[in-house]
Amino acid sequence: MGSAREAARGGKRGEVTVPHEKADRELLRRYHADGDLEARERLIEQYLPLVRSLARRYSYRGEQLEDLVQVGCIGLIKAIDRFDIDRGVELTTYATPNIIGEIKRHFRDKGWSIRVPRGLQELNVRLSRLIEELTVQLERSPTIAELAKASGAEEEEVLEALETGQAYTTVSLSTPSSGGDYDDLDPLESLGELEHEYEVSEDRAVLAPGWRVLDDRERRILHLRFFEGLTQSQIAEQVGISQMHVSRLIRRALEKIRDEIALDGARTGTDN
Amino acid sequence: MTDAVTLTIPRGRPYYGVVRLVVGGLALRLDLSYEHLEDLQLALESVLSNDAYAASDEVTIELEIRDSTVEVSVGPVDGSELGSDLERDEAGIGLRRLLDAVVSNVELEEREGGEWVRLEKRLVAGSGAK
Repeated sequence: MGSAREAARGGKRGEVTVPHEKADRELLRRYHADGDLEARERLIEQYLPLVRSLARRYSYRGEQLEDLVQVGCIGLIKAIDRFDIDRGVELTTYATPNIIGEIKRHFRDKGWSIRVPRGLQELNVRLSRLIEELTVQLERSPTIAELAKASGAEEEEVLEALETGQAYTTVSLSTPSSGGDYDDLDPLESLGELEHEYEVSEDRAVLAPGWRVLDDRERRILHLRFFEGLTQSQIAEQVGISQMHVSRLIRRALEKIRDEIALDGARTGTDN
Repeated sequence: MTDAVTLTIPRGRPYYGVVRLVVGGLALRLDLSYEHLEDLQLALESVLSNDAYAASDEVTIELEIRDSTVEVSVGPVDGSELGSDLERDEAGIGLRRLLDAVVSNVELEEREGGEWVRLEKRLVAGSGAK
């Protein structure tokens, strides 16, 4: 696998920003075997651009980029310190979920979601109920105008409130999964563990990684939506949750899949 | 009647929320159902949020309404990446399966300055229909 990866990396055109693997291993060996702190420093410096690029993905949430880089660095340092050189994975593979995990934990700990204005949050909750009621009453999905009328809010407010419901999705990767074999692990931390199983075929390599980080309910909902062709309201009825919640779960699950596939691409370096 | 809205944004997650709101505004004018709105947003998001499909720092979204169809074109995109993802995909939820569930038709098209992807959604009476 290592040689295939190296070959793939060698064949990749353009911007390879990841520090050189062999040099990394030497630095990691010097640090872990000889306690060479200078080697550790150099690794941290080399991987700062990775931290920075990951931090940038989250900086729009009102956090200063530099603060997030600092938080991400903690994840990087932990990854370097805990890295097991005999495991045969690259440091990038191991560090990326650690860095993202640290950033997401930071957001979760800070409870960033309270930044959403309270009025909109309340309207969002009300809309969730109204969508259910109107879907039953009208025997079809309601329009924005109908939701506005029923809630007594302006139409644009309804749109904004629906938007606030989507504002939380990405942080959920750091919440514990509700089932499966990796119950005790933060999904992000479990990613590295799964890696060796995804090399069976190209299809599995592309698709299985995402699927594996989903919990049972997310899998079921995605299956109903994309394989059985059920609508959100039909799924809501079948699963026993609100349609808005179905919408959120679908989005969250798809995002998990996307993130995981992106990570997998970073691991193999063969995607482009 | 033809009606069109064009929006150019920097590529990046912070701006996808803007797109969602614009699509929402359009859905409001067209009196689309909540489910149709959700479908359109999901379709757009699946094309926008994958960096592999990026062909430039900016991306333009054209929303056009023809009779009972909403056409959403996104470009420029990396047509070979996106095209191969549209062709792949039997076992899990990739781009093809996702888009098939939420829009009626997907096509790649050549334009001056690069490739675009066009998503069509037919608005059938009642909710949740393709």
